[in-house]
Amino acid sequence: MAKILVVDDEEHIRLLYSEELRDAGYEVITAESGYKLLELIEREKPDLIVLDIKMVDYNGLDLLQDIRAKFYDLPVILSTAYDTFKEDTKSMAADFYVVKSFDLTELKKKIAMALEARESFD
Amino acid sequence: MIYAEENPSGVTEVDLVVAIPTFNESANISTVTSQVDAGLVKYYPDLKSVIVVCDNYSLDGTREAFLGTDTKSPKIYISSAPGERGKGINLRNLFQKFESLNPQAVLILEADIRNVSPDWVYNFIEPVRKGAGYVTPIYVHHKYEATLSSVIVYPLLRCLYGRRVRQSVAGDCAFGRSLVEHFAKAPYWSDLVAEKGIDVWMVVNALYTRQPICQTVIGSPKLHRVKDPHAQVNKAFIQLVGTLFELMTPFQDFWMRIKWSKPTMLFNAELREAEVPIPMDVNIARLFETFSRGLDSYRDLLSQVLSPAEMHKLDEIRSIGIQHFNFPAHTWATILFDVAAAYRNATSNDMKLSILEALLPLYYGKVASYVRKTERMSTQQAEEVVENECMVFEENKAYLVNRWKTA
Repeated sequence: MAKILVVDDEEHIRLLYSEELRDAGYEVITAESGYKLLELIEREKPDLIVLDIKMVDYNGLDLLQDIRAKFYDLPVILSTAYDTFKEDTKSMAADFYVVKSFDLTELKKKIAMALEARESFD
Repeated sequence: MIYAEENPSGVTEVDLVVAIPTFNESANISTVTSQVDAGLVKYYPDLKSVIVVCDNYSLDGTREAFLGTDTKSPKIYISSAPGERGKGINLRNLFQKFESLNPQAVLILEADIRNVSPDWVYNFIEPVRKGAGYVTPIYVHHKYEATLSSVIVYPLLRCLYGRRVRQSVAGDCAFGRSLVEHFAKAPYWSDLVAEKGIDVWMVVNALYTRQPICQTVIGSPKLHRVKDPHAQVNKAFIQLVGTLFELMTPFQDFWMRIKWSKPTMLFNAELREAEVPIPMDVNIARLFETFSRGLDSYRDLLSQVLSPAEMHKLDEIRSIGIQHFNFPAHTWATILFDVAAAYRNATSNDMKLSILEALLPLYYGKVASYVRKTERMSTQQAEEVVENECMVFEENKAYLVNRWKTA
């Protein structure tokens, strides 16, 4: 069972994603900020991260650079309320992005693709 | 083989090599050498570095201009034999030189770049020092610059080898110790690689050997000497696309199991004040005409390579006319996949060349379609079009794998 780390400062998003992704057969852990995120990843060894771009104290795009530098092949899906982030070059380090929605069909599709891609490289 | 060598400082082992492949570059080689030297002195004063010009026996004074440039870094000049031409030949001679220089990091910069600055040395070398195996640039580029990369090399490379390397054949790159050793063995070398195909050869080998790839944000356009664009594009097309197809055979076990694609590391991505790209004009009418004429000229050969349905689709695309011209991504992807399989099956080099020549007008048609689709878009929006087309390639990879196994 693939383990997914959801990083988002909004509690209702963490709850929604956790419930839906568990129902879809994934193990889900959550973090409410980017605080000590790299240590958390090191410890929990998630198979994929769903990362909010705009958190109160953290910029998801900056966290993404740190993740990519340390965990080169770890899939990261950016989760955002707006798609203006695409103008930022840093977003190129993400596997995919999804616009936040109560319908998680797109997120589940991108998770499956990212995990499939990673597996094909192993 | 290295035909001539001058090593006035008697350089042996070094940490860093900056290599500049040349042929008749006397006008600009001194500028590039000075900027590289300033970068090495500024950023890596404690490392042993050397600047190497790998020449094609230029007779215009390139050697004299290079060795006569006042630098703090030592210099080495190597050359192929008279009459031996090509960037690949230059770099193979460089790879041969690795045995004695034993570098930890290598930067390759083209000799005709007019706006290279010392920072470029840092932006390419530093990612290698931080663990990247292969580094490619992200130059500021106009949406219609490097369309060969936008509509063929990037989508195909990404679909095959599963890594999103946007400007893999820009001509400049850096790499670390693992690839120094791998490149020195020069596996799967060919006549196409001996010239411009070397850029594809290097990145494909980097991907195959699973080197961590980093794209470094340069923040400037690459300004270089203007050559005959039409002649250059045709030659680059044959050599780059030919090399891509050529390498699909030895690396088939690798690419056939790759699904979707993954990003790379980025360096200097926080750069905010980028320069603006140089405006470009594209003549859509001429591109469309070249496509249309080529479709007629190569009809017999294309009919052998493509399915009747694809030939019908091409005629349909042409019949739309220039006003609403649209070459769908799905059609383009399956055509490239079919051509790749036909190229693999071709029994002679002449036949392979004919297949590439028949594909060339279709490429111009695809460029015309891309220009038509993006003419009112910003560079950012045009990039999204390229990204979406890449996804179409990835979604149809099963078709390629099937064709490859059965054709």
